[in-house]
Amino acid sequence: MKYILMMHGQKGAWDEYAKWSKEDLQRNVEFMRGFNKELHDSGVFVDTKGLAWPQEATMVRAGNNGEPVTDGVFPESKEFLAGYWVIDVESAEQAYKIAARASAAPGPGGKPANMPIEVRQVLGSHNDLGF
Amino acid sequence: MKYILLMSGSKAGVDGYRTWSKKDIDAHMAVLTSLNRELAESGEFVATQGLAAPHEAKVVRGLKEGMPITDGIFPESKEFLLGYWIVDVATPERAYEIAGRISAAPGPGGVPTNMPIEVREFAIRAPQS
Repeated sequence: MKYILMMHGQKGAWDEYAKWSKEDLQRNVEFMRGFNKELHDSGVFVDTKGLAWPQEATMVRAGNNGEPVTDGVFPESKEFLAGYWVIDVESAEQAYKIAARASAAPGPGGKPANMPIEVRQVLGSHNDLGF
Repeated sequence: MKYILLMSGSKAGVDGYRTWSKKDIDAHMAVLTSLNRELAESGEFVATQGLAAPHEAKVVRGLKEGMPITDGIFPESKEFLLGYWIVDVATPERAYEIAGRISAAPGPGGVPTNMPIEVREFAIRAPQS
């Protein structure tokens, strides 16, 4: 069963992250590298990606003539996807345990950042939605 | 340049989708499937995934006595990721064009859903020190 683990945050969270010391950033990056390697080694790793900053996000809708209509204005409360992991595991519980490890990644001063990680199953096809 | 096209919606939006007729759902999926094929043929396709329905979402934080802390409570206003496409394109404009095509996919009665699609580039990896 494939699960996606998502890290989200409002723009304010990015502004805080931008203020982390070099040492704090390095500790976090090292943790993530080790974490990814561990997922690889245990055979559950499928994919991981980090996304560009929210300032670079663009919203697109179809216009009447089929041309894309773009907009970069988002509500203050909008939660932006910061990054994700896709893992292939035996159970939802295993996905939650792995998500908890990601949540415990070190933040400023080496304390666990305790970020909430949203966990959802990834579908094989839209038929899996059961509509 | 790799871009991710994110389709999100509230629980209410997903409940709305559940009321679509089979014909409307088939027409919608036919357009998206043909777009996927077109992107594969142009070499721009990287990946696409649909996610399970929002009521199956859980949020996980740290550990308590070795166990993850999970809950499934989200604010009413929460926008859930419904699915995504990853495309490898020459320009951001091309990514917007593809997102526009997804937004124009037909909804009930064949009227374009006009769903907003968020377009983001992937983070550029810092050089390894």
